[in-house]
Amino acid sequence: MYGNGSRLRMLIATSLLATSAALVLVGEAGAWSLEEAAAPYKGTTIRTIGEALPPLEAMKKLAPEFEKRTGITVEIEMYEASETASKVMLDLNSKRGRYDFILQQHRNVGKFVTNGHVEPIEQFMTSAELRDPEFKPEEQLYQGLWKEISWYDGKAYGFPFTALTMYEWYRADLLSDPKEQEGFKAKYGYDLGPAQDWKQYRDIAEWFTRPDQGLYGTAIQGKRHEALWYEWLNFLYSFGGDMLEVKTGSECGPVIVNSPQAIAATEYYKSLMAFSPPDTLNYFWDDVMALMQQGKVAELIMWNDATYAVAVDENVSTVVGKMGFDIVPQGEGGKVAQVEGWSYLIPTAAKNKEAAYLFIQWMMEYDQQLEQHLNGGATPRPDVYASAEVQKLPYAKASMASNEVAKPKPTIPQSSEMTDILVREISSYLADEKTAKEALDESAKEISAVLGSCAPMKYPVQ
Amino acid sequence: MSKSWKILAFGILACVLVIALTPYVWILLTSFKGRLDILSPQPTWFFTPTFANYPAVFIDKEYLPLVFNSLIIACGSTALSIMIGAPAAYVFARTDFAGKEDLFFFFLTTRMAPPISIAVPLFLFFTTLGLTDTIYAVVIAHTTFNLSLVVWMMRGFFAEIPKEIDEAAMMDGRSKLGAFVRVIVPLAAPGLAATAVLCFIMSWNEFLYAFILVAFEGRPLTVGIPGLITPHGTLWGQVAAVAVVATLPIIVFTFLVQKHLVRGLTFGAVKG
Amino acid sequence: MTTTAQPSRGQILLDRGASLPLILPATLLVLVFLVGPFYYMAYTAMTDLSFANPDQNGAFIGFDNFRKLVREDTIFWGSFWRTIRFVAIAVSIEFVIGFALAWLIWRYVERQRLLTTLLLVPMMLAPVAVGLIWRLLLQGDFGMATHYLRAVGLLSQSSAVFSTPSLVMPTIIAIDVWQWTPFVTLIILAGLMSMPRSPFEAATMDGAGPWRQFFDIMLPLLRPIIALVLLLRGIDAFKEFDKVFIMTGGGPGTVSELLSIYAYRVNFKTWNLGYGAAVSFMVYLVVLILCSVFYKAVYWKSADQRAQA
Repeated sequence: MYGNGSRLRMLIATSLLATSAALVLVGEAGAWSLEEAAAPYKGTTIRTIGEALPPLEAMKKLAPEFEKRTGITVEIEMYEASETASKVMLDLNSKRGRYDFILQQHRNVGKFVTNGHVEPIEQFMTSAELRDPEFKPEEQLYQGLWKEISWYDGKAYGFPFTALTMYEWYRADLLSDPKEQEGFKAKYGYDLGPAQDWKQYRDIAEWFTRPDQGLYGTAIQGKRHEALWYEWLNFLYSFGGDMLEVKTGSECGPVIVNSPQAIAATEYYKSLMAFSPPDTLNYFWDDVMALMQQGKVAELIMWNDATYAVAVDENVSTVVGKMGFDIVPQGEGGKVAQVEGWSYLIPTAAKNKEAAYLFIQWMMEYDQQLEQHLNGGATPRPDVYASAEVQKLPYAKASMASNEVAKPKPTIPQSSEMTDILVREISSYLADEKTAKEALDESAKEISAVLGSCAPMKYPVQ
Repeated sequence: MSKSWKILAFGILACVLVIALTPYVWILLTSFKGRLDILSPQPTWFFTPTFANYPAVFIDKEYLPLVFNSLIIACGSTALSIMIGAPAAYVFARTDFAGKEDLFFFFLTTRMAPPISIAVPLFLFFTTLGLTDTIYAVVIAHTTFNLSLVVWMMRGFFAEIPKEIDEAAMMDGRSKLGAFVRVIVPLAAPGLAATAVLCFIMSWNEFLYAFILVAFEGRPLTVGIPGLITPHGTLWGQVAAVAVVATLPIIVFTFLVQKHLVRGLTFGAVKG
Repeated sequence: MTTTAQPSRGQILLDRGASLPLILPATLLVLVFLVGPFYYMAYTAMTDLSFANPDQNGAFIGFDNFRKLVREDTIFWGSFWRTIRFVAIAVSIEFVIGFALAWLIWRYVERQRLLTTLLLVPMMLAPVAVGLIWRLLLQGDFGMATHYLRAVGLLSQSSAVFSTPSLVMPTIIAIDVWQWTPFVTLIILAGLMSMPRSPFEAATMDGAGPWRQFFDIMLPLLRPIIALVLLLRGIDAFKEFDKVFIMTGGGPGTVSELLSIYAYRVNFKTWNLGYGAAVSFMVYLVVLILCSVFYKAVYWKSADQRAQA
């Protein structure tokens, strides 16, 4: 969807060329330099807020270098994800401008933009004093991810801080075990390997479900929590369903969340609960990750930024070196990945917007991106993925493949309300309170009511 | 007969004590475990302890100042609640005026509004005053919801002190305020201590107001805890370390004032 | 409204003058910092204010929010009755156990200091921490409590507490009982310790048995304290949020969605502040009515009796 291998290589080549060209230019008088651009803002302090997680901690470690070069101090506030959102909402709506830039989930962008809370980034990018000529987001970033995460209604409002996707994790050691392969083939009639479609996915889950050995086929994130919605989206998209019939996240359109494809996806999703540990209705990403680290699950759908702690970090994981990764299995919807991201944004009420922009621009540079990525981040820069260090990570290929088929999701102002409705209804379905059709019909009805006349139900409910 | 009853009573209390304390003991143990021990399918009671969790959260994540923030907020709001609430309680105990019982009940109603609903208006209100992100905002908020506790508990306690004592004090030429400060307060000290402990616990453990009203630098320990639930896994060992550190001061404090705590909470209401 | 015996006009003036400086700061503080936001909330409840949707900019819409809430919002009513049940059951159990423990300590234990301090530990933990601790303990794969519940056969190998919808609310109630029974014990114990000996001695001389003494003397004496404990616990249980939110998030489905969780979603997830304020206002109103009925019926009746005695 968003480019292919050859285009990627070209991109890397151009960016390398641009870098070396710029290196030559640095020596010449009049060239842009960070120190010069930052001179008017020397001594200011800029403040930001984001979710407490390793890439932000990496940013905190990098910030002193920026301070040394520019004299601009960076203060970073770290909270839990939903706390971050609450703090930001209160700050923006009271217009007090505590934060010079914010890191927010892209689903909130519509809420911010339509209420006039964030600045378009263009004004800074067109400023000759501020814009680093080497920084070319239209070439250096995954365009699909950038547009999805930081754009709204045809306008850019920032850059991705993390570009997250979910993909299939599996225990490569189990799947390549000759004994398992033999038994699996005898039972299912085809070779055992990473699941390519949903039938294989379920067969593998069934095959490895052995509660007496403490091993389960998969793990469903069934808690009433946003994690449930994120996980369900993979199934929805792959089965060819969606929530709204629209092309971009900022559009409002017909509600199709109760389409036959969506119902099929949801029913399939629940059927996997049989191969998931008993406490599956209490799981969110936290538990599922812990199970994987303990080697109790054969395959599941999980986040790219959590991969490091399972596949690489021996202090917390028992399955280092045993993991394999692949794009989400394909259904009617073909190759898709659901993308989620946190975006850099600059509030309209901010007091040091220019200094904030300089910092963001600096953070988007290759070196900083690499550092963040290696610390459990998820960069939007293909050239960072292409680096030897990143390629060494066992999940780099799956990450890149997913990034390229990322599918947009609603970022309109009511998006979090839509999520809230869906989480409740799907959770009700998982808890046997209603059928999949009842749950999705109810969701469609409520979502349509929330969005108003722009969102009629395509599959009407009486 | 009575001996065996006593044994039974101690047996029951011992069981209750085990139930009350086991989760806490488990958290204490967890704070010395590595992630693999914490998440092991078999409960591990014996393990090689690690001391990494405490420095990881208090030094590396810079949670140490949060302990002091908690202390400042809890001490400040407790002192303020007592200073403002006790005189009011004294008036309720001593003076009759029209609508007194309604006003008294009104103090309790302040406790009834769910914080979830008051939090946003309170934030906007404090922002208008320029007090958000300062420690004052949360001290005032905690004081306000603790006032009901102080007024309600101290009223009974003041009522227990014979009226003749303040009359004698006022006869000596003291004003009502003077009589209150010099004579009544010292007599009511155990009750004040007990009330203060409860206020302190409430304020120390309060989450929502503290989260909404205080700046990042001034946030107390409770607000720091959810920050350890990261998308890369909940840092259970660090959560446990914070929980242990957060409770130790109150346990010690309660133990020290325990005598007053029980004796002080008598409200005078039960004198036949 | 409640009025007690009217004092003479002169006495009122005299006392009011002297008492005013004592009672004013408290009253003012409460007025400014609670009643202010409260009226703001009441006003917001009559607007369509939303922080999310730019079309809802706070226009006055009268009682539309309340109408929708009362007539159409089935989720609200579900959580309403769930909350009432939760408060009634949890507070009753806390009261019975708390009272029994207080009595045992009062009757049999001479050196109480360490025992009571340790008993109070659950109540000293922050609710946020309590939620996380129990989530860890009851986790289905590596929870210590789950392990032992299964070992003694209270829980089957193929189920887990928070994944079994029928077990979720009972578990939440049990955890609330664990956390707050010590509070009841503490206050009842204080009441027991301050009871005068004479009525009991007189009753013993009259030949009254322990049950008669309990119902005829002890309970009436403790009545105001019992009322206070029930009132404080009831109010706080109604506001229960942190623990449940962390442990279950209101799920599975809506099994544990209490009013406060519902209000949180409306206020902080969808940012429909107008509607959220209406929800909060209703919650407040219900608690207020329940409490004032209880207050008039129990608390002050006994206080009046005391005043007359």
